[in-house]
Amino acid sequence: MIRGLIAATGLVLLWQGFVWLTEVPPFLLPSPFRVAQALLARWDIILGHALITGTEILLGLALGALLGCAMALTLVAWPAGRRWLLPLLLVSQAIPVFAIAPLLTLWLGFGMGSKVAMATMIIFFPVATAFYDGLRRTEPGLLDLASTMGASRGAMLWRVRVPAALPALASGLRVAAGVAPIGAVVGEWVGSSAGLGYLMLQANGRSQADVMFAALFVLALMALALWFATDRLLRRAIPWQPDSLFSPDLHSFNDRKPT
Amino acid sequence: MLPRGLALAGQPVLGTLDITVSAGSVTALLGPSGSGKSTLLRLVAGLLPVPAGGRVIGDDGRSVAGRVAYMAQQDLLAPWRDVLGNVVMGAHLRGLRPDLNRARSLIAEVGLTEADSEKMPAQLSGGMRQRVALARTLMEDRPVVLMDEPFSAVDAPTRHRMQSLSARLLAGRTVLLVTHDPLEALRLADRILVLGGTPAVPADVAVPAGRPPRPAADPALLAAQAALLERLAEAVP
Amino acid sequence: MMKRILAAIAALVIAAPPLAAQPARDSVTLLLDWFINPDHAPIIIAQERGDFARAGLDVRIVAPADPNDPPRLVGARRGDLGVYYQKNLHLAVDQGLPLMRVGTLVATPLSTLTVLRDGPIRTLADLRGKRVGYSVAGFEEVTMGTMLESAGLRLSDVRLVNVNFALSSALMSGQVDAILGGFRNFELHQLDIEGRPGRAFFPEQYGMPAYDELIYITHRDRSRDPILRRFIDATEAATHFLVNNPEESWRMFIAGQRRELDNELNRRAFASTANRFSLSPGALDRNRYERFARYLADRQMIRSVPALETYAVELPGATTAR
Repeated sequence: MIRGLIAATGLVLLWQGFVWLTEVPPFLLPSPFRVAQALLARWDIILGHALITGTEILLGLALGALLGCAMALTLVAWPAGRRWLLPLLLVSQAIPVFAIAPLLTLWLGFGMGSKVAMATMIIFFPVATAFYDGLRRTEPGLLDLASTMGASRGAMLWRVRVPAALPALASGLRVAAGVAPIGAVVGEWVGSSAGLGYLMLQANGRSQADVMFAALFVLALMALALWFATDRLLRRAIPWQPDSLFSPDLHSFNDRKPT
Repeated sequence: MLPRGLALAGQPVLGTLDITVSAGSVTALLGPSGSGKSTLLRLVAGLLPVPAGGRVIGDDGRSVAGRVAYMAQQDLLAPWRDVLGNVVMGAHLRGLRPDLNRARSLIAEVGLTEADSEKMPAQLSGGMRQRVALARTLMEDRPVVLMDEPFSAVDAPTRHRMQSLSARLLAGRTVLLVTHDPLEALRLADRILVLGGTPAVPADVAVPAGRPPRPAADPALLAAQAALLERLAEAVP
Repeated sequence: MMKRILAAIAALVIAAPPLAAQPARDSVTLLLDWFINPDHAPIIIAQERGDFARAGLDVRIVAPADPNDPPRLVGARRGDLGVYYQKNLHLAVDQGLPLMRVGTLVATPLSTLTVLRDGPIRTLADLRGKRVGYSVAGFEEVTMGTMLESAGLRLSDVRLVNVNFALSSALMSGQVDAILGGFRNFELHQLDIEGRPGRAFFPEQYGMPAYDELIYITHRDRSRDPILRRFIDATEAATHFLVNNPEESWRMFIAGQRRELDNELNRRAFASTANRFSLSPGALDRNRYERFARYLADRQMIRSVPALETYAVELPGATTAR
């Protein structure tokens, strides 16, 4: 936590130093001081927009993760469907958001629904592919063993493949947590009247670079908080996955060395 | 029984076979790497489809499916379940209620403690994990036990201990043991088959006197080991 | 002998640079506010007709994707001239951008509030409780508020909805009851062509002071650069040609690589913009700018009304006729 704060302070100092050194005009890159001023002057407005975007992000993440898992499981459990579901999955990733955004607003209106839908679409792919990959790559030895033990097809999927694929799913969820804010903001750019993305657009139109960066800063904070919260949650949910970079954190296990 | 042998991916791996394994005894399959011993074992385990005309049957004439327990070179412990959970894995996969008391006593029999039974596989050493695998195999309580180089991944002293342990615990079951270590075969087996040639066919080899597990210090055993090593070395191109 | 040769060489060396360095043209980078469209006709015609070339200018026309890029790029000296909006110039200058208006491209407002002609809305008062679609440009609340006031309504009586750039389709599909920010010389024609004609309310008739929709801006420190005067004069010549020769001007507009602009919508837009270009692009209507600045200050869109010459000038006259 302390290290995080030090890192953050260092970044802010770097930013200030860069602005001071390069003398970049404030309408292109305002100094941290100006951004802080803008943030404090409008903190209630920014907070209101941040709550809206935050809700879009969380809902999009939840929905996208759920659908992604469902897709991955369907691909594994239904070999016949895989042939046309897999291309569908890939195409879903290739469609640029602003191409379908007008359609989404047509069907879901101008409210939060279309933004959540857009965030969901962006999150769906990383979760689906990561989980699908994990399910496919189950250690063959485990599958062999389960087969000799007389496991049914359902047991193979739910009691062997799925638990074994949880680390892969976790990777996909981490990516999703990183990408969710982008999904929500892009959705707002393309058609919304509230949220941090909308605030950035409006500030852009009014040449208010400090407000734009203030909104950006808040968005970055939210993205960081989301990523770390997701990471922590995942590590707690899947404690058996040894993580060589974070071993001091596995305080639920004792430190006995293996014999 | 494989009247026409077995080909994998077009390459003949196993030649015409007709092996009868005596019940209640340990049969060792020896051979250099790639000689098809694992293939044969997987065939018996039901992991490979039996080719046309072939049969894998018990002495009652029925297929052995459902009556085998399989123990591989890797411990294959599920990292998401603790030791106890792994030992009762079979029941868990079959959707049945596990006999936890029996599981606990098996864990003790393989030399692990009560505290160990709550640990996760990541916290165990290689030797300990293989013990858990052995307990799991015993938990299955099947008449036929198939072992594919089960102790080759652990160090020599542990291997020695595990060999003695398994010989004791598996007594009375029909064991088909695949190994590339002649010493292991000589210590544990009632009958040794050496797989050689392409496609591979088995050949019987003399087994030293005495009941397994035979002491490693026995001079007759050591001499036999030397002879076997020579024979296996010849087969390697 | 040697001395003469050396002298000759010295003379050549001294004389050579002025002889060799005769620049064919001065290069000017012009940043448009949007992709090339009929609003930019004088610029295109000046290019096609050779007005820029005759003025000794080599104009490079760049179309950025974000209409808010020109002021930033010009302010950072990454472009010589930009096309921008008078309305937004006031805001940008208030935020400290070092910009200077040096010419007018379109001398009337183009923005409108548009409804469907066969729809329920006949007057502005009918907007009570309705949804109004807009593209975010920062001005929607001010414009809407002003127009509603003239009908006795308040901003809170309508629901503003960001439809991004899909103004016409949002109106035609019924997602919104009115759109704000459609151009009278563009979106109105679009609706007409789609068979859903619109009815326009012009902001300058409902309380908003008249303003120049499109202007030329440069960096404040460059406002005395004679190159800019040549540019403005060239666009003046092109504008007059356009007014006198509308058919031939249209053919010039769609010539060469701009072939794809040849469609019914652009044709109609071209025709209805022709009488909106400034016929004296270099002239500055001081009252128009100061009046709009006061209007914005009253509505707290800008903090103060700066001295006009700090952000809008008439360029100094040309010293030699070219």
